[in-house]
Order: sequence, then C-alpha cells, then structure tokens
Amino acid sequence: MLIFLTNMNQENVTLRVENVTKRFGDFTAVEDLSFDVQAGRVFGFLGPNGAGKTTTIRMIVGITAPDAGSIELFGHKMSYDLQNRIGYLPEERGLYKKMKIVDQLRYFAELKGVPSAEADKRIDRWLDRMNLSEWKKKKTTDLSKGMQQKIQFISTVLHDPDLLILDEPFSGLDPINVEFMMDVIAEFKTREKTIIFSTHLMETAERLCSDILLINKSKKILSGSLRSVKAGYGENLIALRASGAEAVLNDKTLVEKIISHSDEQEIHLAQDVGDQTLLKRLIESGAVISKFEHIEPSLNDIFIAEISG
Amino acid sequence: MRKFFAVVKHEYKKVVYKWSFLIGTLLFPLLAAMFAVVPAIIFSLKGDATRIVVVDQSGKLESRLRENLSVERIAEKARQAARDSMKDISASQDERLKRGSEQLGGSFVFVDYNSREKPIELVLRELNGKIAENGIDAYLILPPDIDAPNAEFDFYSRKAGDFVTNSTLEDALNQAVRSQRFADANIDESKLRELSKNVNLNTSGISETGEAKDSDSTFIAAFIIGLMIYITLTIYGQAIMGAVVEEKETRIAEILFSSAKPFDLMFGKLVGVGLAGLTQLSIWVISAVVLIGVGMTQMDAMGIPISIPNITPLMIFYFFIFFLLGFFIYASIFALIGAMVTTVQEGGQFSFPPIMVLLVGFYFSFAVIRDPNSSLSFWVSIAPFFAPITMPVRILAEMPPFWQIALSVSINAVAIAILVWLASRVYRVGMLMYGKRATIPEVWKWIRQA
Repeated sequence: MLIFLTNMNQENVTLRVENVTKRFGDFTAVEDLSFDVQAGRVFGFLGPNGAGKTTTIRMIVGITAPDAGSIELFGHKMSYDLQNRIGYLPEERGLYKKMKIVDQLRYFAELKGVPSAEADKRIDRWLDRMNLSEWKKKKTTDLSKGMQQKIQFISTVLHDPDLLILDEPFSGLDPINVEFMMDVIAEFKTREKTIIFSTHLMETAERLCSDILLINKSKKILSGSLRSVKAGYGENLIALRASGAEAVLNDKTLVEKIISHSDEQEIHLAQDVGDQTLLKRLIESGAVISKFEHIEPSLNDIFIAEISG
Repeated sequence: MRKFFAVVKHEYKKVVYKWSFLIGTLLFPLLAAMFAVVPAIIFSLKGDATRIVVVDQSGKLESRLRENLSVERIAEKARQAARDSMKDISASQDERLKRGSEQLGGSFVFVDYNSREKPIELVLRELNGKIAENGIDAYLILPPDIDAPNAEFDFYSRKAGDFVTNSTLEDALNQAVRSQRFADANIDESKLRELSKNVNLNTSGISETGEAKDSDSTFIAAFIIGLMIYITLTIYGQAIMGAVVEEKETRIAEILFSSAKPFDLMFGKLVGVGLAGLTQLSIWVISAVVLIGVGMTQMDAMGIPISIPNITPLMIFYFFIFFLLGFFIYASIFALIGAMVTTVQEGGQFSFPPIMVLLVGFYFSFAVIRDPNSSLSFWVSIAPFFAPITMPVRILAEMPPFWQIALSVSINAVAIAILVWLASRVYRVGMLMYGKRATIPEVWKWIRQA
C-alpha cells in the first residue's frame, strides 16, 4: 500500500532509467542511457539487433546491475524484492522439456512469490483462457511450438505483474496467437499496468505503442510519444491522386521530389512549404483532385532513416 | 528465503518424482543382493547324481569309499564343517561358500561292473565305451597296492569340471585310503583322530580401542560403503550438471534470474538434489538394515553361518554427514561446469577430471581398509575431495579418534564454502552466456569480476 502511495507521488512514472552505462570488458553495451516509462502506457523499446536492448532490459529486471547510473522502479531503487512486480518474457525463452506444464507454471509463479494454492487457481484460469486446459498435465515436448509460446506467456503474467516486459513477444507466433496476445496486452493497458515492448518490427510497434525509445549502437537516438516523434521527424509528405496537376507539381519552389506509385503520387514538399499551400495552388490551377492526404512518416521510415543515417 | 525453498522443493521433486529415481533406488539393493546371494544359490544347485564305477584292484577300498560317500555321511561332514567355520572366522568367503555348497552338492550312484580277470586295458576300453554311450558318468581306478609310495588313483569323469563333486569324492577317497592304511598298520583310527584334533585358534582383528571385530565382513562392508558413495556422488553430480545445462540451454535461466537471486537458485538446486540423494541413501540404508536382519535369521535357520560387520548408528550418522560433504563438494564443481558449457556433451568432457579425483579417492579407500591407521589413511581421510569416500570407509574399518573426524569435517566444510562461492560467481555470469563454451581464462575473469 505504501508503495502504491509513493507511486502516485512520482507523477505515475513506473520506471526511471538515469545515465545508465553497462560495459563488458572493452565493449560498451549501453552508454549513458536515460528514459522514463509512464504508468499505464505501452512503451516501445526499439532498435536493431545488437543495439543494447536486451542488456538494458536485463538491468531493468535485475538480472545484471549497471556499471554506472541508476534504475528506479515504482519509485524505488531496483532490488530483488521488486522482481515480483515485473513479468519478463525474454526474447530467447524456453520451458523444462520433461516437466508437466502445470508443475513448471506453478514453479515460475512461486518464484514470483505467488503461493502455490493461488497459483493453481490462476493457472487453471489462464489455461482455460488460452484453450490449453487439456494440456495441463502434458509435458512440454508434447506441445507444439505455438502452444509452448502461449505457456511461456502465461508464465510471464501469472503473478499479475505491474510492469510487463516483452522482448520480441511475437517472433515465430502465428497470427491467431498474435491477436490473442494483443488482447491480453490491451487488457493490461486498461488495468493501468505498464508494458515495455521491445521489438525490431516497426509495424507492430506502431500499432501497439503510445511511447517509443529508439536506440542504436548502445545510445539513445529518439524518444517520446509516438505522435511527437512522428511530428518531430517532420518530413512533409502528401499522397496525391489528381489529373491536370503537372504544372503545379513541376514548380521546384513547391515540390522537391515526386515518387510515382501505381495509381497515386508521393509528393515531397520543398522546405518551408505547407501542405495547405500546395492544396490551394492545385485547386487554383483547376486540377481534379480525388485524393489529397497528408502522410506521416511510418515508424519504419524513421527507423531506417535514423539507423542508416 | 521463500524463493530459496521454492527452488529446493522444485529441484527435489524434479529428481524424486521420476521413474529413473525409483528404478535406481530399487536397483542398487537388488544388485547388491545379487552379488551377495546369487553365487551361493548357483553353487548350491544340486546337480544330477554322478553314476560311478569303482574298479578296486586292491579289493579293500570300495566298501569304505561307498560308506564315506553315503548321503548320511556327507551330511554329517557338512554339519561338522559348519560348526568349524563358525569358529573359524578367518576363513575366506570362498572357502565358506564351498563348504556351504558341499553339504548340498555331489551325490553318487554306484554302478556295478565286473572287472575281475580282465586286463586293465580292456577295463579302460569298456568303461570308456560306457561313458560314451552315457551308461555311466565317471569311473575310478584304484591301484592294487595302496600303500606303495607311487600308488596312482585315477579318476575319469565326463564332468571333470564339477569341482564340488570332485572334491567330495577326493575327500571320501582320502579318508577311505587313510582308514585302510591305519587298519593295515594296526592303528586305532578313533584314538588317532582324537589325539590329532586341531587347536582352536581364534583369529580376530583387534582395534586400537581393544574391541575385536570380524575383519572379513568389515572389508566387504567398507568396500560397499565406498562404492555406494562413489556411485551416488557421480550420479548426483552429473544430475546437477544436467539440470544446470538444461536451464542454460533452454534459456529458462533468464526467467529464473529475473525472479530470484542467482545464489538462491544455485544453492537451492544443490540442496534440493542433495536432499533427493539423501532420500535415496536413507532408503538404501534402511533396506540394508532390514535385509541383513531378515537374511541373518534366514541363514541361521538354514544353518548357513554368516557374520555381519559391527555397524553402529553413530557410523551411519557419520556416513550421512560425509555423503553430504562429498555431495556439496562435487555438486558445486558440476554446477560450475554446467554453467560454463553449452551442452551436456561438452559438460561430459569437463566432468572427466572431477570424476577421476573421485575415482582416486575410491581407490585410496582400499589402502584405508588394509591399514586404517597408517599415515596415508590419515591424510587421505582428512583431505578435501577424498575424505567423503575415504573417511566413512576408515570409520567402518576402524573408528579413528574424534578429533580426526572433526578435522576432516571442518576442512571439507571450508572446501565447500570456497567451491560454492566460486560456483555461484561462475553461475551468475555463465548462465546468461549463450552460444559458446567459456574458456578457463574467461571463467577466471568472471570469478574475479562478478
């Protein structure tokens, strides 16, 4: 209860990472990284492979300690006691091969401080929800890959964590199971739980995340809400489908570049030219416009631009 | 602490709730029983009676021989032998086995054959013919003059390898010839036997505390204890390694490390598996006590003399203590290896050195059994790595002074503290290193840095 109250005072910051650095010998895996994660939001932790995502996550969940900087969770310095409030689904994950599903789920729950009687109730509930009840007494080796992933996911949420950290949760998952997991994530979100979601799949991140952090080569590149990141990225793109617009479009003071797609054109506006200006000029020129849409850069575009740039 | 116990419970159940545990637990006493009982059973199996022809060229021996080989006479002799061996505790196990089986073994059926007025060559040919057509199993040729120094007694048998039958026959023949010679020399045989009776020399080992004990059964018990500890330490050490590698290989370690302290995870694993080992040992010790108890009464009832070593509850207590010391020493080494490697196969190569050390300790236990008070026995029974095997063996062979046991326990406890500390350092780093096997310098770096 005390923890809950201090939480409130912390402006709903679930996680605060401050100037964290982690080195392995001569190699710096994470360098001077700082960011906050707000409670009740889905936080996308993005970056190419080897950027330092997993190292950062391992420090957040208390597997390793940072060489410098601090990590605060729920308003407290990270400690083993706080591990019970985190649910962590690692990118590389597995189950005991020759153990019954119910036994390993109970073990994982107990390690998170859930009494075994309570754990049994929750296991039944989750297995039922995932349509896996009949597999309860089966061993891992009897389950398909997809089922095993669902079991791993259950083991992450059994103790009803306040912070859920999912490292590449959808890799290798079939679309039905992806939807399933999305539902659970959405449910966690409505219950004011915080979700950190690490991925290199930008489409998924774009769909799920309210905030993002992009890191590359152990350093922060971008951070903020999805909206502000996109706005800040500031490229002015228009999707246009129109006839008789050639004259206006050829004006170099207005348009920098045109990329033609099958039935529409992607217009890159020149510096300091607003989309409204172009629209006005087009209408004045008498062009027939069937589509005029301001397009935001996709997260994927931002990612590629930032990482390769 | 709660998480630590969760790990202990989990690891314990993982080992004990398995068919292999049940099978292993049952198999060992079964194997031990087989080693102890099966040879005796096999030797006591009664063969078919040997059909024998006696060609008595002297004409004096056959009746005596028949009498000596009669069923009653053989039984009486066996009883006499059993009475002797009760006192004669220095006799080897083999000797006793033979005696025990003789009483049940060889019996003879005499086949009449008329050899009168036939030259010996003809007799041999005819009897060989009978053997060939399975009319008889053996024949015995007694010389005309049994007193001659070069008198030859020839025995031909289809079952020449049946040493029980052969020795029974030999005994009977010897006795018959001896009796005949006494009779020829006019010596009263019963008088002579009475006068030439053996003295009762009781050979017993005397320990330094002055208590007598049975050296032979002690040797066997010490050997079995040594073997039992060697086998359990090897098996449970490897089990630890397998469990560590599995958690590393399947990446479960990552989930575990995000839930509990690495030290709790590793030490909980050692304690859980150790308790499983203790469970198995307890089952063995209890079943051994029961088996020996039942066996004693059984064998007594059958008239087969056996002796058991003098094992006190204190010895059993020490035995468990040293098992646990050995377990934690070798289990932490195997846990360390498990955290270094990426597959069980790789671990197999690395587990060779500790197993060699264990094996050397097992071999040292023979030296300890032979002379429990030598300085070699002293040193190997307090040395870390060896003591878990050699000290229980030494305690069984001859209880050393208490200070030596205490010293041995302390030295090994310190060794455990160091090894567990080393293993936990390697464990917390190594468990998260995927893909490649750690080199020794790397491991050294983890130990220094972690």
